[in-house]
Amino acid sequence: MTHEIVDSVLQFLKNESTSDIAFNDQALRLFNYQYKHNLPFQMYCRQKGKTPRMVKTWKDIPAVPINAFKDLTLSCEDPEKAEDIFMTSGTTKGVRGKHFHPTLQVYDNSMLINFNARFMNGYESIRTGILFPTEAEMSNSSLSHYLALAFKHYGTSESRYFVNNEGLQVEQLLAELREVEELGEPYALLGATFSFVHLFEELQTRGKSFNLPKGSRILDTGGFKNKSKELELGAFYTQLSTLLGVEKSNCINMYGMTELSTQFYDSGNEVVPSLKSGPHWIRTRVVNPLTGGEVAKGERGVLVHCDLANFNSVTTILTEDLGIEKEAGFLLLGRVQGAEAKGCSIAVDEFIRAAKGSSL
Amino acid sequence: MMEIAGYLPAIEGEEFAFKTLTFEAKDEKLAVQVPVLTKEQMDKITERIKIASANVLKSLTITEIVQVIDRVIEQLLDRTNPYRQKAEQLLPIITGYDEELVRLGLTAYLKTFRKQNLQRFLVEDFGNPLLIDDFQPRSKRGYSKAIGPNLIVQIWAGNVPALPLWSLISSLLVKSGSIGKVPSAEPLFAGWFAKMIVDVEPKLADCMAVVWWKGGDEEKERHLFQQADVVLAYGGNESLDSIKSRVPITTRFLPFGHKISFGIVSKMSLDSRKSWKTIHHAAYDVIRYDQQGCYSPHVFYVQKGGNVSPREFARLLAHELEGFEKRYPRRALSVEEGASMAEWRQSEELSMYINREKEVLGEVSGAWTVVYADKEGELVPSCLNRVIKVTEINELTEVIPYIDTHRAYLQTVGIASTPNELFALSDLLGKAGVTRITGLGSMTSPEAGWHHDGRCNLLDLVNMVDIEHSAEEYAESLASYVD
Repeated sequence: MTHEIVDSVLQFLKNESTSDIAFNDQALRLFNYQYKHNLPFQMYCRQKGKTPRMVKTWKDIPAVPINAFKDLTLSCEDPEKAEDIFMTSGTTKGVRGKHFHPTLQVYDNSMLINFNARFMNGYESIRTGILFPTEAEMSNSSLSHYLALAFKHYGTSESRYFVNNEGLQVEQLLAELREVEELGEPYALLGATFSFVHLFEELQTRGKSFNLPKGSRILDTGGFKNKSKELELGAFYTQLSTLLGVEKSNCINMYGMTELSTQFYDSGNEVVPSLKSGPHWIRTRVVNPLTGGEVAKGERGVLVHCDLANFNSVTTILTEDLGIEKEAGFLLLGRVQGAEAKGCSIAVDEFIRAAKGSSL
Repeated sequence: MMEIAGYLPAIEGEEFAFKTLTFEAKDEKLAVQVPVLTKEQMDKITERIKIASANVLKSLTITEIVQVIDRVIEQLLDRTNPYRQKAEQLLPIITGYDEELVRLGLTAYLKTFRKQNLQRFLVEDFGNPLLIDDFQPRSKRGYSKAIGPNLIVQIWAGNVPALPLWSLISSLLVKSGSIGKVPSAEPLFAGWFAKMIVDVEPKLADCMAVVWWKGGDEEKERHLFQQADVVLAYGGNESLDSIKSRVPITTRFLPFGHKISFGIVSKMSLDSRKSWKTIHHAAYDVIRYDQQGCYSPHVFYVQKGGNVSPREFARLLAHELEGFEKRYPRRALSVEEGASMAEWRQSEELSMYINREKEVLGEVSGAWTVVYADKEGELVPSCLNRVIKVTEINELTEVIPYIDTHRAYLQTVGIASTPNELFALSDLLGKAGVTRITGLGSMTSPEAGWHHDGRCNLLDLVNMVDIEHSAEEYAESLASYVD
């Protein structure tokens, strides 16, 4: 069965002229497959009253909260036999979410097709610098795998990594930037958002800036995640463009999640928040988190993604990200901040911290 | 609609700036302007309040002060009074709470500040209320007098409408001037109250100010706290910690931080005749102010062996909450609040796969949720907004180990039990850190003069001045009439 499913997904990814009907058919096909083979998911669906009989369109497929990837084993195949397991970095309660991939074929295809269309801007390859650890150093990170794919498939032979166990290799990176600046060939710098913030700090301390050659592109992803000073989005892209000399329209943000097999991109960040969209095999709804019902167009809500490249876990996940639906995609407004109690009633997070003895 | 909040003593030649806060609920919009003072203006006001506190407030007798407050409360209890009408109209818009719940809540709350209750409040803390007026003889010989501060800076929270009244009235009762910072979530009531006090007794015009500044404005707070005798603040522990860092060591700091409350239901209250009342009371404690108060319950511990089992209790409680939802609907939630509630509910639902005895009861819109979690006794906060956990216990005392580790956070326990059970259990609860034990159904309306978080509201504000016996004796020896 797996081969058939994998083949059908790969076929779907390749097929550019897909219709609503084709998306729906493929989604229902995957839903039936997952309902049958992924038992925790089946239990979840039953509890929601969403059996294959009740699910008529992709919108009826129950959205699984991302936290379920921490609590349950969501896999149609024996998880022991997975080719790779991507794990989330967030460790609420010390548990990391796990996403099992029996084969990486689908993930890799999804990434490569989409990256080519949204980031490469017509180049076949581009000299690339990566500001993130390699796969060997972060073996369960979907982002390090993602960046490794970009490095291997779209980077020229001069491409290299600038992060290792000791952190950002500032001297080497600055030397590299100076070199490409002189050579005048387009350059791509890819990495986690917080790595760029560290780079900014270094450049500002040294009073340095670069003017990377025309055609250079930057890709950041992941947001700040408390790992560095929080920057306002607009300020972040202004700094990218002034310190590295890359126009904001060539600064692309990738929005992805360990729980998905497909990424979203924007078309530059002249205006923030930018409009994000994905390829034809992923669709997004904006819902009221409590009822699961779609909010009116233009209103804020929580994002639900239906990713047909998620053939082995669940296609449809309920995120903790806020967004607004637009004609050609959605605006990503960041993570839903835990609503703080307005007064003296205690908030859950604080209580848990206190119970662990790590409170103030 | 537009409303100007706050209260300021008149200062000649001063124009004050205002910041506009906007509220939207029940399909109505309200803009509220809150006064924001410059450092110089704040200094002028502080000076004026300190002088008025020393000269005016401290010259009034406690009886006179009680009468002024009682007069204002009487007006506020009169539903034809314009301030009361404004409160009933505007508070539902800014807090989002149901209109009827706000109205009932206000009446119940205001009643606790009538004259007789204020007298009780004073006796509770001072024994002899005249202690605040004059030196009073002590049984150990000598005399004492309670001296209120000249200035109390108060930082209020906005989770429950009209909450600032507790500390504003307390400061008046100890003859202290006040500068209060209203919360952005409910900036109106404190200012109205101050205006009404001044309407009743114009002499008090310079004794109070109700203002606003952005929370955590370090410079402003540091400067103001320098001039205060007492800083009193409500809020989350993190913000209190940050406030504390700006309070000088010589200034008394009274923080009212995060607390958690819960209920205990004895099987004796669960026979066929009594259970409906017990369940109704439990549900009422959950719906009042949508659990935003420190006294609101998060968990009900229900004893096994009654006619109604703990599982049935949970189901009946769900039914009751649904009934309340029809009569007093929960306020609309923001996307953030909705998301954190959804997350809480989902994680409870997911844990049902591990604990098959568990039940998650609630309807699609999430207006309320009851989780029946049989043996998960650990006291854990719910995500609020009418979300409650019911867990079973064999013996009432079983609760103690569940709460023991959270000593610093415990506050109210609502109990439905027999008198014998009540007193036996109260002793253990008190030792575990609980500071208030009340009947189920009364969790959200503390009595006048309650020991908020176990403290004496008035006594904590004052300094006692003792005239020791030796001074008196010495003076006697120097009196003009000495033979």
